Amino acid sequence: MESGPRDPGRAAAGVKRFNFNTAIAIGFVVLAVLLFLAIPTQIETPLVIFGQSLNALDPKLFPSIVAVGFLILGGVYVFISLSMTDENGLAKLDREAVVNVSVSVAAFVAYAWLMEPIGFIPSSALLIGGLSVFYGLRNIALMLAISLGVPTLMYFVFTRGLKVFLPEIPEL
Amino acid sequence: MLIDSFLQGLEMAMRLDTFAMVAAGLVMGMFVGALPGFTTVMAMAVLLPLSFFLEPLVGIPFLIGVYKGGIYGGSIPAILVSMPGTGAAVATTFDGPALTRKKKSRKALEIALFSSVFGDLSSDIVTILCIGPIALIAMRIGPPELAVVMILSLIIIAVTGGGYLVKGLIMMLLGLLLSMIGQDPIGALSRFTFDIFELRSGIPLLPLLIGLFALPEILIAIENKAATAIKGRIDVKAGGRLTFEEFRGCFRTICRSTVIGTGIGMIPGVGQVVAAFMGYAAAKSASKTPEKFGTGELEGVAAAEAANNAVNGPTLVPLLTLGIPGDNVTAILLGAFVAQGLRPGPQLFNEQGSLVFAILIAMLLANVLFLFIGYFLIPLFARVVTIRKALLLPLTVVFAFAGSYIFRSDPMDLYILVTFGVFGYIAKKLSYDVTPLVMGFILGPILEYSFGQTVTMSQGDLFGYILFNRPIAVAILVATPFVCYLLWRRSKRMRQVFVAAG
Repeated sequence: MESGPRDPGRAAAGVKRFNFNTAIAIGFVVLAVLLFLAIPTQIETPLVIFGQSLNALDPKLFPSIVAVGFLILGGVYVFISLSMTDENGLAKLDREAVVNVSVSVAAFVAYAWLMEPIGFIPSSALLIGGLSVFYGLRNIALMLAISLGVPTLMYFVFTRGLKVFLPEIPEL
Repeated sequence: MLIDSFLQGLEMAMRLDTFAMVAAGLVMGMFVGALPGFTTVMAMAVLLPLSFFLEPLVGIPFLIGVYKGGIYGGSIPAILVSMPGTGAAVATTFDGPALTRKKKSRKALEIALFSSVFGDLSSDIVTILCIGPIALIAMRIGPPELAVVMILSLIIIAVTGGGYLVKGLIMMLLGLLLSMIGQDPIGALSRFTFDIFELRSGIPLLPLLIGLFALPEILIAIENKAATAIKGRIDVKAGGRLTFEEFRGCFRTICRSTVIGTGIGMIPGVGQVVAAFMGYAAAKSASKTPEKFGTGELEGVAAAEAANNAVNGPTLVPLLTLGIPGDNVTAILLGAFVAQGLRPGPQLFNEQGSLVFAILIAMLLANVLFLFIGYFLIPLFARVVTIRKALLLPLTVVFAFAGSYIFRSDPMDLYILVTFGVFGYIAKKLSYDVTPLVMGFILGPILEYSFGQTVTMSQGDLFGYILFNRPIAVAILVATPFVCYLLWRRSKRMRQVFVAAG
């Protein structure tokens, strides 16, 4: 009962080969094994009073079902993956895409790291300014106006209007 | 009782702030939908945190406004520059750009608007009529039935998603596993925390939703910088306005597509894209001049737009009656309900039926606002198509981060956001649908809790209790493989229509 995209040429030829799906499928089988190993140590045991557990349901039951599910589906996936023909979109990325995505993710991590130490407005201004220039904006005046104006407006709308907390600029 | 709830809901919905926020949601949705590469789901994920700080009767209709506006907004770039703003508007590109080339862009945008409003309004009325009886049945079910309904819905979502079934099921299991991190829902005992303090309360829903639905879209949009700018001036005044005769000529098609969209909306996991293609294919085969489709036919635009908007209302039926989200949009709406302290499902209908009806009535009123806002702001939204994404993408990132942070004020949430963003991007590139993961994550704890209650009720004889005391649960369990097979076959057929249509 499979319905995925298929390459008619390969499907007709019945070619079976190791591909990225097979590697991921093996990863899920390994995950199942790791889960079986982690369940006894990573799940608290409920209290037992007079031989009766205080929990109606063993907290290990559902994780065990999921682990069994991963093992069975992972095995099926390994077998099916050999004739799967969907494309690996990551392998098809060109150099420009890899650079753009990597720089963007690095900027996201830096933004997450900087937001509390330097405050919401400066960290957001740095992110907007940096990324918009990187993405191709060449109008510096517009970039400065937006990167400073929007975070400041957002800060006041969120903290004054919605009464929620956003990191302040630390006092020197 | 339902009539009373409906009348109370009608009274509750008549609020100026609800109208104002629905209008704001519609404008924001249309704005985002009009930007090629920005999706409705992304807009909803980013704007979701705003709804947390508004009353339920203001915040949830606001998100519904974003949803409705976004689906229509996607047709604007599809018609003007042949770039669908959302997946739902792909079928609109068959005739929309050809109409623009014939200097009939205003007519195309207007028929898209009127068809969208008609499809949406009609399906919302059907939703309100259907939801009451379904809720009455839902209110009679107990934990055993709820547990089996959860199992059925999880499998349905995995089965009806795009791509290989095994991938959908694996993603669902991954969502269930993630939902187990933290504390078990019955005894609050710690699970898979690896002694990391931050994991004791589990993975928060909000950064997971925003990370999986918003950040991957941003990363995909920025893969190629050249694609971030649309050059040239767009003239939407050429060709004059749509005449009543032209609208009347499309009316039969609009009605047919509305029926198709409403029917598809009731099947979890199928969605607007398939509905639009089915509506288009049905209009083409029913037409006396099918050869004109694809060359700039108003009926082509009307068919796709009425069908995709008619999906909006019915998708809320399983969410509001059983607490089961049928797709990624309703998963986001479920997040909004949960954050407001409301749990959609039989209990919500029982305790706050008037609120549910008020939200549904606000949804109806949103269509009236939708018509006026859409009609008068068409020229403005047509300009949005050309806005440079170099500025908008970083702004969206800031919104996503601020939204993730404000709920718990915990910097850990920002790292969770980035982690799920990168995971979602990789999943997309490797042809995995993240919707089953989100469903597993949301429904996992409810399923476990319902199952725990069932075990308690069974007093040690679970099998005998289910078999002899809960016939509905047995019936649903027995029907599960057949229902899944039928839905799988139907969604496979729909995808074939989708491929055949272009």
